[in-house]
Amino acid sequence: MNAPGYTSPAIEDLYDVHHGWLKSWLSRRLGSTPDAADLAHDVFLRLILKPAPRGFGSVGEARAYLRTMARGMCINLWHRREIEQAWLDTLAARPEQFSPSAERQAMVLEALNEVGAMLLDLPAKAARAFLLTEACQMSQKEVAQELGVSTRMVRKYIAQAMLKCMQLQASQTASDLLDPDLV
Amino acid sequence: MNSAVPPSTAVPAEPTHRAMEQAAEWYALLKSEEVSEGDQARWRAWLNGDPEHRLAWRYVESVSSRFAPIHATPDPRRTADGLWQANTLLIKRRRVLAGFVGLAGIGLLGWASWRHTPLPLMAQAWRADHHTATGETREVVLSDGTRVWLNTATAINQDYGSRERRLQLVAGEILIDTASDTYGGGPRLFYVDTPQGRLRALGTRFTVRLDGEQTFLAVYEGAVEAHNLGGKRTVLQAGQQTRFSPDALGEVQAADTAREAWSRGVLVAQDIPLREVVAELRRYRNGHLGLAPEVAEFRVFGNFPLNDTDDTLDMLAAALPVRISHTLPWWVSIEAAH
Repeated sequence: MNAPGYTSPAIEDLYDVHHGWLKSWLSRRLGSTPDAADLAHDVFLRLILKPAPRGFGSVGEARAYLRTMARGMCINLWHRREIEQAWLDTLAARPEQFSPSAERQAMVLEALNEVGAMLLDLPAKAARAFLLTEACQMSQKEVAQELGVSTRMVRKYIAQAMLKCMQLQASQTASDLLDPDLV
Repeated sequence: MNSAVPPSTAVPAEPTHRAMEQAAEWYALLKSEEVSEGDQARWRAWLNGDPEHRLAWRYVESVSSRFAPIHATPDPRRTADGLWQANTLLIKRRRVLAGFVGLAGIGLLGWASWRHTPLPLMAQAWRADHHTATGETREVVLSDGTRVWLNTATAINQDYGSRERRLQLVAGEILIDTASDTYGGGPRLFYVDTPQGRLRALGTRFTVRLDGEQTFLAVYEGAVEAHNLGGKRTVLQAGQQTRFSPDALGEVQAADTAREAWSRGVLVAQDIPLREVVAELRRYRNGHLGLAPEVAEFRVFGNFPLNDTDDTLDMLAAALPVRISHTLPWWVSIEAAH
C-alpha cells in the first residue's frame, strides 16, 4: 500500500470495461497509437489519483465522463506539442553556445504553456496585443502600429486581456487544479 | 479562545469583479505612454484605499509575471511569435473538432508531462546520433571499430575528427570498448564528454553513466583519465570506479564488475537490497513501479533479465517473500507476501 492514492478494485473494473474503447477512440482522434496509449494511460491515472466525485451510476455515465476527460487531454496534448515545437525551432535557430541552460529552457516552456493557455480564451486581437506588450515589452504605440489600430484601442485590449486572465487565475485559485469540471 | 493572535482581516480570497476590472484598467493606463504623474498618484490612492484593491492588484502582478520567462529569452519576439502560431493552429483545430464543448484546461496543463523527461533533454536526445528508448539496449560499432553499448534511455553524439574521436553522452549510460585507431597519421585521442567533465580513454573498456548531477565512471580494462569542469583530474585504472560532479571528484572505489553485465542484457545482483534492484529496474520500465518499505531491505542474489522486466519481477516474487501486485499494466507494486 505504498503507492500514493492506492486504488480500490473499482478502478480495475473500470479499466477492464473502458480502456479498450477509450484507446481506440483516442487513436482515431489523434491519428497515433502511441499517443493514444499515453493519453488513455493518463485518463486512468488521473482517475486513480482523483476519483470521480460521485462515482458512476452506469456504464454510460462512466463512458461520457471518460470521453470528456480524454477530449480535454487531446486538446492539451496538441497544444503543448505545437508550443514545444515552436520553442524548439526558436532554440534551433540560435547558435548552440548561446542557448539557455536546460533548466532555463524548461522554465520558459512552462511559461509558454501557461501563457498559451491563458491567451486561448481571449479575442484574437486582444491576445495578440497582450502578448506583444507583455512578452516582448513593446510599447502600446508600437503595438498599435503593428496591428493597425489606435493606441486607445490597444489600451482597451490590454485591460480586457488582463481582466480575463485575472478571472481565469481567480477561478483556478478557487477550484482544485484537477477538478474534472475544468476539462 | 483567548489568544493574542489578532482576528483575521477577512480579506476575501477572490476580489470582486469591480475591483478586478478597475485593476485591469489601471494596469493598461500605467503601461501606456500617455500616463501622467497625476494618474500615478490617483492609482496609488486607489490601491491604498481598499484591501480589496490591493488583492486585485496582486492578481495583476501575478498574471504579468507569467510572461517574464518569455521576455528573458534571447529573442523574445521570436519566442512569442512561435507561441502565437501554436495558438492559432490550435484555435483552427478547435473549430474543426466536432462536438467540442469548451476548454479551460489550464488545470490539466503540465499533467500529461509528469512522467516524461524534461523536454529540452528529450529534444536533445531525439536529435542525438544514437539513442535507445526506455527498456531498450543496443550495441553500436563506430567507424573506427570502437564498440559502444547503449543502456536504456541513452543518447550519444559522435564527433570524429582528424585528431581526436569524441563522444558526447547526453543521457543514460554507455559501455565503451575502444578499438586501436588506425586512422591516417597515428592514433587519435578518444574522449567522452559529459555535462560534468571530460574522460580520456587510455586504450580501454569502461562504462560512463549520467546519474543526476554526477558522472559515474567504472573502468574494466586499461585506464581512463577524468577531468571535471572544475579542472580536477584523476586517473582510474582497471578495476576502479568513481563519480564526479563539476566541482568535486568522488572517492575511488573497487569497480563492481556486476555493473557491466547490462551490456549482455543481465542484471547481476550480489547481495544488494531489493530497493537497489528496483531502482535499477525502474530505468528499464515505463509506468509506476512501487516498492513497499517493509520489503525494501530484503537482500537479493541472482541474475535477472533486463530485456523482460516482467519476468524479473516474477523471479523476484519466486525468490523472496514478496508478491507483485498488478493494479494496472503500468501500475505495479512489490509488496510483502502474506
